[in-house]
Amino acid sequence: MTTMDTGERRRSSDVRPVITDLIDGATVLSIAEEAWIALVGEDEILVPIPGEPPVDIVSSWVDIVGPWTGSVVLTTGRGTAEELSRALLREAAPEVLEHEDVEDAFGEIANVVGGNVKAALPGPSGLSLPQVGNAPVVRNPVDVCRVDVVWRGEPVSISVQGALPPLPVPSPTRENEVPL
Amino acid sequence: MSLTATSFDWVRDLVRKESAIVLQPGKEYLVEARLLPMARQMGLTDVTKLVETVRVRPDADNTRRIVEALTTNETSWFRDGDPFTALTSTVLPSLLSARGANERLQIWSAASSSGQEPYTIAMLLDDALPNATSRVSITATDLSREMVQRTRAGRFSQLEVNRGLPAPMLVRHFTRAGNEWEVSANLRRMVNASECNLAAPLPRMGPFDVVYLRNVLIYFDLPTKQSILRRVRDLMRPDGWLFLGAAETTLGVDDSWERVVIGRSSAYRPLKGA
Amino acid sequence: MRALVIDDSRAMRRIVSGILIGLGYEVRDAGHGREGLDVLDEGWKPHLLCVDWNMPVMDGLQFVSAVRSNPAWRSVTIMMVTSESEHTQIVRALAAGAHEYVIKPFTADAIRDKLALLGLLPEEVPAGVPVPLRSSEQEVAL
Repeated sequence: MTTMDTGERRRSSDVRPVITDLIDGATVLSIAEEAWIALVGEDEILVPIPGEPPVDIVSSWVDIVGPWTGSVVLTTGRGTAEELSRALLREAAPEVLEHEDVEDAFGEIANVVGGNVKAALPGPSGLSLPQVGNAPVVRNPVDVCRVDVVWRGEPVSISVQGALPPLPVPSPTRENEVPL
Repeated sequence: MSLTATSFDWVRDLVRKESAIVLQPGKEYLVEARLLPMARQMGLTDVTKLVETVRVRPDADNTRRIVEALTTNETSWFRDGDPFTALTSTVLPSLLSARGANERLQIWSAASSSGQEPYTIAMLLDDALPNATSRVSITATDLSREMVQRTRAGRFSQLEVNRGLPAPMLVRHFTRAGNEWEVSANLRRMVNASECNLAAPLPRMGPFDVVYLRNVLIYFDLPTKQSILRRVRDLMRPDGWLFLGAAETTLGVDDSWERVVIGRSSAYRPLKGA
Repeated sequence: MRALVIDDSRAMRRIVSGILIGLGYEVRDAGHGREGLDVLDEGWKPHLLCVDWNMPVMDGLQFVSAVRSNPAWRSVTIMMVTSESEHTQIVRALAAGAHEYVIKPFTADAIRDKLALLGLLPEEVPAGVPVPLRSSEQEVAL
C-alpha cells in the first residue's frame, strides 16, 4: 500500500467540504446506472425509489482518502447481493456460489462505483480495496449523499458518506490541531 | 398497452436487416424502454402505436431513429478507423498543398449523432496541424435536436469515452466534468453543430473539402439516395472528398463520382464534367 | 494471441478473460502484480497485459513500472483495466508505460474497440461487414 494523506489530522482553521457540496444524488445515480448497465447487464434498470429494507443486509464499500475522506457503500439484502454476483459472472458463475464469490463480486461493484465517485470529486485521492460486511457507521449525518434504488424489485442503497465527525466550531484564535 | 408480438417481430426484423443485430426473444421490455421516449416525442401513448405508425407509413427518418435507439453501439470513436486514417495520411496533405495558407478547410460530418465523429476529426486535425482552430471548420449536422445539443455540449459519459477513444487522446483533449468527460473548448470551437434533414433541401453550407456521410444512405430508397448524393455534391468543392460507410457506395446509385482507394478505405470524388 | 489478466477480483478476472477468450485469446490470470511478474518470469510470453490498478501486494502501477524496466518484456502491450478514472491517474499510467486505458465499468465492445486500436484483435472483422456488436458472452443482451 502506498502511503497517503489520511486526512485525519486537520487544523481547526481548515474548511472541510461535506459530500453534498461536491456531488449530488443524480450524479451518484448515473454512476451506479452505468455500472449496472455495463457489469450486470444492458437492460438492468435501477428505479430510483426507496424499497422496503430487508432484514438480513450486507454492505460492500471502498474508502476514498483525499480532499474529501469517506466511503462509498452499497447495501442490500444478502439474497440480492448473491443475485447481483450471479448476474455479474453470467455463465462464468459456478453452480453453487461460495461466500467468497459473493464477497468478491459484490465488493468489485463497490470498487467500480467508488472509483467513479472518486473521479467526480476533487482529487487527487486514494482508493482502498473493497471490503464486505457491516457498513461503516455514519459519523456526520450532514456528510452523506445517499441514493436509494430498486433493482429487480429489491432495494439497494448507495451511500457516499464521510468518515470524519463534524468539525467543532472553529475558534479564530487557536491554531491547535484538533484530534479526530 | 404492452408491446404486441407482431410489433416486436417487426422491430426485430427491421433491426436485423439494418444493423445485423439480433434481438433475442424476451427482449420486448428492452424494446419498449428504448422506444418509449421516441413514441412520447411523437405524441403517441405507447410503443405499439409507434410501430403501427411507422409500419403503415414507412419513413426513413423514423426507421433510422428506431434502429439507432436499439443499437447504442453505433457511436464509437474512430468507428471503422480507416476513413480517419485516410484523412490524415492522404486527404489532409493533398488539401494543404492545394489550398492557400490562409484558406479555411471545411469539413462536414453529416448525421453526426452525439458528436463522436466530428470530435474525432477535430482531434486528429488538432494533433496534425499547428493552427487547426483557425485553419479548420467542422460542420456537424444531425436530424435530431437532442443529438445536436449533445454535440454542442461536447460531454460524454464514461461508457462513451471507453468506446474506441485512444487513452492519450482522452487525456489530451478532455477534462473530467462530474462523472462525464468534456471535450476541450478548443475543439468545441472548431465544431459547429446544427439540425439538418438530409432528405430535404439542404441549407446553405460549405463549400466542403471533405464530407463524412457514413451509414446514412443505407436507410433510404434509391431515388432518395440519389437526390442526397446530388445535393451533397452541390455543397462540395470540385476536388473534395466524400467518405461513406464501409457498406455503402455510390456505384450503381450515382455515376458522377470517382472511387479512390486509400489504404483499406475508399473515398469518392466528384467526377469532372459529370 | 496470448493475454495475461491481472486483477484482485476473481469476478473481474473471469469477465475480462471471458471477453478475451471470446475474441480468440489464450488467457492466463493473476491476482496481483507480484503474481503477474511470476507468470512472466516463467517465460510465458503474452502479447497483452490487462492490469487493474488497486490490488494487494503489488499494485498495477508498480507492476507496469516493473515490466517496463525489464528489456525482455519490451514488446508487450499494456492495457490498464481499472475503476481509477481521475484524469491525473490516467496520465500517470500512460507515463509509466501503459498503452491503453479502459475504465471500469466497461462493456465487451469497449475491450474489442481498444484492441482494434492497438492492432491486437486476433480475428480482424472484415471491412464492410456490419460488426457483431457483442462478444459471444453478451449476445443475449442485444
